[in-house]
Amino acid sequence: MLSSSPLLPEFFALLGIDLILMLSLLTCLLDNRFPKAIPYVYQVVALAGFGHLLISREFLAIFGKYTRFWYCFFYLIVALANIVAANIYFAVSKGSRALVMGWFGAITFPTILVSTFFVSQYSLMPSAVLNLSLQIGVVLSAFLVGISMSIFLKPEFVKKLFRRKLEVK
Amino acid sequence: MESKKTPFRKLVKLLPLLLTSMLIGTASAAVYYSMIMEPAVTITGATIRFIQGSDWPSGSSMGTNGTWVSLALKAYPNATLTYDQPLNLSNTDSSSHQFRLRHVSITPASSSASVGNFTFFNFVIKNAAGVSQASFNYTTSGDNWNTPSPTSYLTLPANTKWIVYIETKAAAGATEDIVASIVIAVDVLE
Repeated sequence: MLSSSPLLPEFFALLGIDLILMLSLLTCLLDNRFPKAIPYVYQVVALAGFGHLLISREFLAIFGKYTRFWYCFFYLIVALANIVAANIYFAVSKGSRALVMGWFGAITFPTILVSTFFVSQYSLMPSAVLNLSLQIGVVLSAFLVGISMSIFLKPEFVKKLFRRKLEVK
Repeated sequence: MESKKTPFRKLVKLLPLLLTSMLIGTASAAVYYSMIMEPAVTITGATIRFIQGSDWPSGSSMGTNGTWVSLALKAYPNATLTYDQPLNLSNTDSSSHQFRLRHVSITPASSSASVGNFTFFNFVIKNAAGVSQASFNYTTSGDNWNTPSPTSYLTLPANTKWIVYIETKAAAGATEDIVASIVIAVDVLE
C-alpha cells in the first residue's frame, strides 16, 4: 500500500530556501541599494539549504522528528531574519519611505504570515489542511501583496498621493 | 545611452541568478518530494492463504503464514488415488481478491530414477459449489518432471473457502514407499 506522508519538518527548510532565492533575485534587481556581492551570498546560502535537505534525507532514520523540525525551523528563521534585516536596512540607510513600506507589505509581512501559519499548523496539518484561518490569511495576504507590489514598483504614485492631500489642506 | 545600458547589465546579472535559483529551487523541491513519497508499507497477514483440509496428507507441512505448503503425497501403482479435500484456499478479507497457484519445488528432483515411478499429480481448484476453476498438473517424462506453469489469476470472493482437490497415480510396477513432496505457493493480487 502506497501513501503520501503528511507535512514533513523539511518543508520549513524548503520554504527557507525559496525565500533566500527570492531575496537573491530581489537584491540583484535592487543592486543600487545593496552591496554587489549580496545576491551571490544568498545563492550560496540557498545551496547550503539544499545540502541541508539532502543530509536530512540521507539521515532520516537517525535524526528524530523533533531534531529535524528544529534545524529546519532554524533555517527558516535565518531566511526570515534576512528579509526583516533588509527591511531595516532600507529604513536605516538609504531607503525611501515608499520602498520601506512596499518591501514590508510585499515581502516581509506575507512571508512572516505564511511562515507563522505553517509553523502553527504544523502539528495539525494532517487533519486540518484548509481551515478558516488559512483562507482569511491567504485573502489578506493577497490584498496586501497586490497593494504593496504596486507601491513597490511605482513608489512615485504614493508621493503624488501624499502631495495631493497636502495641496488640498 | 547610460539608461539603456543599465537594464541590459541588470539583465545579464539577473539571468544567471535566475537560472541557478530555478535549479536550486527545483532540486530542493525534488528532494522534498522524494521524502514525502517514500512508500509506506503496512505488513498484514495474507488475505488468501492455504489452510489444512479434512484430507490433509500426513507428513505434509504448512508454510509460514499459509502462503506456501509442502505436501507429502502418496500414489498407488496403476491406480488413481484421490485426496478429496487435502487443502483449502481461504479468503479472510471482506472483499474479493485474485490469486494463483505457483510451483516452487518437487522431490525427488528431475533426473532421479525415482521420478519414473510416478505418472501424474493433478491439482484441481474447486469453488465452494465444487465446480472446477483451474487445474495444476505435474506429469513425468521418463525420469523428469513436467512442472506446471502458474495458474491464471482466479477471483476468490470475500470470506470464502475454495477446495484444492488432488489426484495421484504411479506407474504400473512402481517401487513402493517412495513419497513425492511438492511445494506450492499462493500469490495474491491486492
